Amino acid sequence: MSYKFDFEFLAERWPDFAAGAWLTIQLTVASIALGFVVGTVCALARVYGGPVLRRVTGAYVEAIRNTPLLIQIFIVYFGLSSLGLKLSADVSAVLALTINMGAYTTEIMRAGVQSIQRTQLEAADCLGLSRLQTILHVVLLPAMERVYPSLASQGVLLMLASSIASQISVEELTATANLVQSDTYRSFEVYVVVAVVYLALSALYRLGFWAIGQGLFERRRRLGTPL
Amino acid sequence: MKTRDFLRRAAGAAAVVLCGLALPAMADTLEDIKKAGKIRVAIDTAIPPFGMTDEKMQPAGSDVDLAKLLAKDMGVQLEIVTTTGPSRIPMLQTNKADIVVSTLSITPDRAKVIDFSIPYADHPSVVAGLKGVSIKSLADLEGKKVAVVRGTTQDADLTQQAKGAQIVRYEDDATMALAVASGQVDILATARSLLPAISKKNPARTVEPKITMQTNWLAIGVRKDDPKLLAWINDWVKTNLKNGKLAAIYKQHHGVDIPTDELLKKGGA
Repeated sequence: MSYKFDFEFLAERWPDFAAGAWLTIQLTVASIALGFVVGTVCALARVYGGPVLRRVTGAYVEAIRNTPLLIQIFIVYFGLSSLGLKLSADVSAVLALTINMGAYTTEIMRAGVQSIQRTQLEAADCLGLSRLQTILHVVLLPAMERVYPSLASQGVLLMLASSIASQISVEELTATANLVQSDTYRSFEVYVVVAVVYLALSALYRLGFWAIGQGLFERRRRLGTPL
Repeated sequence: MKTRDFLRRAAGAAAVVLCGLALPAMADTLEDIKKAGKIRVAIDTAIPPFGMTDEKMQPAGSDVDLAKLLAKDMGVQLEIVTTTGPSRIPMLQTNKADIVVSTLSITPDRAKVIDFSIPYADHPSVVAGLKGVSIKSLADLEGKKVAVVRGTTQDADLTQQAKGAQIVRYEDDATMALAVASGQVDILATARSLLPAISKKNPARTVEPKITMQTNWLAIGVRKDDPKLLAWINDWVKTNLKNGKLAAIYKQHHGVDIPTDELLKKGGA
């Protein structure tokens, strides 16, 4: 072991890393939020929809969960522009990550929705709740509370997976790392720094999910027990 | 105590061996090649049209043809040692190849560890674009998207010299080529030699060179302190530049002429 660590580049390049991390946050917060909406709608369609709707959402979930994210990003960025729809790299990344997050969220939320007992729906009917009220308060919120840990993990996984966007010229955290290491030749140190930043981001995201969960699930906040 | 003694002796022995390795007698690789009846040439066969494999999985390209001609003129068999960009020079240093013919540009840093023959071709970096794009100087790139491969000399040059340009960085040549072919970018900065391959991907989006950013000179690499081999190769390059054989090889694979007179002048002829 004669390798000498040299982190001097940080003094000069930390604004680059900060900018990269900020773009990673922007991309992934947008994709997680949009993907959650897509996934929730698709989950309801999978459970309560007609046969066609079930097949379509099923095909979407299978197609996305069984292909690599890198290929999905390439199809959105290079494929669509070959067909004439020219999206910028950043928009392509958010679109591809949203589609990906949506598919995984569909499966997670489907499990939650299916865990709601039929008797609950009957009770809601007896109380005279409208269909929308039933779905929001009786189905979705408790379903989400049950699968919330999985949802949070998927969000963190997506943040880490967003490093793949560096391949289509998005200047996010990993792209920044590649740039700095090609300038300074301190590749080992650069990747150590970036790993630490990703670790910090993961902790931040988990904290964020926890806070959102506390705000959202009033029952758990009061009782502190799993549903 | 005994162990320490042993270690000291071992270290001493190692030092003697190392010194022996570090100070070889003046090598005569030319003699060795002729004795062996074959010359080992390191070529990167993943950078068309310099080095590639043809449909029969045989090495092909301008560097391969040059090596074939050289071996024939030397009267020995050609053994191609396939290599990659970063390992071209180590191949030579560790005696896994006798010479390197592999898009090797002459640079001061490399000249510290190996010797270069006189140049056999030019290797310009260019800013290229679609036919309809009008670029006369780097200033015309203001506000335009320009594709480069991250960490290349083109990336560094463009970052410094074209401050107003919006530089879009890809990880490798293939991804950059795809970005051009699929319509994500109309302008790119790369080696001129890559342009035909990029245009071939999507002939509707053929790119042509607009500005030359920098010209590198390609040469044959030999180990340091190997004067006989170097002299033979220099003579050979001069002869074949003059008789047009090298120009013909280049024209066949690249579709452009090499500046023969300028190359000869650089070679001191």
